[in-house]
Amino acid sequence: MNSLSSRLLISVSILLLVFFGITIAVLDTAFSEAGEQARRDILDGQLVALLGAAEPDDQGELALPDRLREPRFGQIGSGLYGELRNQDGETVWRSKSALGLGIPEGVVPEVGNHLFAREALIDGTPLLTLSLAVQWEFDDESSRPYVFKVAESLDSFNAQVGRFRGQLFGWFAVIALTMLLVFSFLLRGMMKPLRKIEQEIGEIEAGQRVSLSDKFPTELTGVARNMNLLIDSERARSDRYRFTLDNLAHSLKTPLAAMRALLAGKGDQEFGQRCNEQINRMDEIVRYQLRKPATSAADKLVLQTVQVEKEVARLIEGLKKVYHEKAPQFDVSVEAGMQFRGDTGDFLELAGNLLDNACKWCESKVRISIVPSSTDHGISSGMILSVADDGPGIPEDAADALLQRGMRLDESTPGHGIGLAVVNDIARSYGGYLAIKKARLGGAEIVVSIPPISSVR
Amino acid sequence: MRLLVIEDDLTLRETLVQNLTEAGFAVEQAADGKEGLYFAQEYPIDLAIIDLGLPGISGLEIIQQVRAEGKTYPILILTARDRWEDKVDGLSAGADDYVVKPFHFEEIGARVSALLRRSGGWASSQLDAGPVSLDMSRQELKIDGESIELTSFEYKIIEYLMVRAGQVISKSELTDRLYDQDFERDSNVIEVFIGRLRKKMDPDNSIKPIETLRGRGYRFALERNQSA
Repeated sequence: MNSLSSRLLISVSILLLVFFGITIAVLDTAFSEAGEQARRDILDGQLVALLGAAEPDDQGELALPDRLREPRFGQIGSGLYGELRNQDGETVWRSKSALGLGIPEGVVPEVGNHLFAREALIDGTPLLTLSLAVQWEFDDESSRPYVFKVAESLDSFNAQVGRFRGQLFGWFAVIALTMLLVFSFLLRGMMKPLRKIEQEIGEIEAGQRVSLSDKFPTELTGVARNMNLLIDSERARSDRYRFTLDNLAHSLKTPLAAMRALLAGKGDQEFGQRCNEQINRMDEIVRYQLRKPATSAADKLVLQTVQVEKEVARLIEGLKKVYHEKAPQFDVSVEAGMQFRGDTGDFLELAGNLLDNACKWCESKVRISIVPSSTDHGISSGMILSVADDGPGIPEDAADALLQRGMRLDESTPGHGIGLAVVNDIARSYGGYLAIKKARLGGAEIVVSIPPISSVR
Repeated sequence: MRLLVIEDDLTLRETLVQNLTEAGFAVEQAADGKEGLYFAQEYPIDLAIIDLGLPGISGLEIIQQVRAEGKTYPILILTARDRWEDKVDGLSAGADDYVVKPFHFEEIGARVSALLRRSGGWASSQLDAGPVSLDMSRQELKIDGESIELTSFEYKIIEYLMVRAGQVISKSELTDRLYDQDFERDSNVIEVFIGRLRKKMDPDNSIKPIETLRGRGYRFALERNQSA
């Protein structure tokens, strides 16, 4: 029910059902009424014919001849019945067709009036009846009341109405289905731009496109334009954030460096040491705050596609220079062409901090492995980044304390300082987590697991 | 050794220059990117310390231009930006190491020495060649384990020659790299100091550590020890 197409299709189906329902009811009523009226006219004619045929017999009683002009009166069970009753309600004449069938007496109209009624034979057959009460004047100038009654079985009429209804339902069903089919085709065409927008947003999220195209119908150009503005402003906000942080870092840390340099020249060692401690604290707070994640997996529209292999190679080239004398051996295992959806700075922060720590602590070997964390290996798949070394490792009880460091800046642990807390924060901002293990190389192994973007809400 | 410091913060630059001068280096300084780039391109220097966040031309651009021109001297980045993205950008552009602000001067001194040593192909701060052993961190020269008393300028000369052991160093290069800019330049002074060094290091003229190549300059002639 969440799709616009299915909502529209269901609404149109309900509308068609109501419309055709009412149409069928109106047509059915009109057909039934027209049919009944035709039958009444026929009965009226038959009654007049009976009246015309009625003659007093030798006993002075009104009688009808054996053969009537309408042959159906003479055929047993023909469906057309006639009856003549006297003033006592006794049947004076009954048509042969009604032989053995009890025609109900029904309601008798006033003399001079006729009355249509729906009645039924004893066996339940529905009848349309017409009764006429007359005051018959005989030749001897006496007069007596009689009731002429004709009745017609409604079986064939009802069957006709039934057939009509069947055809009505059949045709309307065919028309409704055809209309729905045509409508769904039209809908497909009309929904195409919406599906295109959805597809393009997906491509932006996957990093294959930077903004929505401008080829949309007039009604959607505004939406596409605003969407592009939103994406641009999100990117600008992200860039501005980083720019501000850079400026802040520069304007805070340069004076700190100057203070430290000035203190180095002072003779009072204790004073210098105490000031340096304060500078260290300020520096740690600034460093930690400034290295927080630049973005999160939730900001899917501004994420970049990071070429993992290339960035890792750049990092390792840099670290080889920095650790030139120690010259650690790097064992790199990164899936060729692997991409990470996120911020390049965040990725470098994750891998850079872990590799830097590993270089610092290793005897001679550092191993880095990065694999996609989901099985689809798609662009939006997450990653499992693992960095191990052959150094002394991290004791289990110290590992928990290290991970909590982000929350407790006043504690200082040399070596695995802010870097690990920053890695932990970044991993969490991408919906992932960090684990500290004992490496097969002998030292510490830090594993960062980042889930696929699609699973982060 | 002549160093170049490009840093826009006056206090930091001055203290840095002062500390480096006290440590025995000849130091050029520039306060902005434009001046820094000019010095880095035109001056004979052995190592540059470049702040990344400079007004005018950024530190990163200076490094890229200097490297594009084929200058190979070591470059140490000073950065306030602690993010790996900036460090990797700097190192990829051609820098050799980085120091994050605020730093202790000892850290800068150690990195500078290491980079200078590395540029001369030495693996540790102890340069051993035959019986000669120079400890750069302690600024101490020993022959056969015996400590030799040297003046500051004598030390600068032997350090420069030993770091570039095997290379021919002209008199003018020695003058350029070892004198401060405002020092009186006189190539005879170099000859006098070389002569004194030879007497102190090799009084009986048996090991001949410093070779004179007529018209070309001097060369530290002893073979580096295998472990060096």
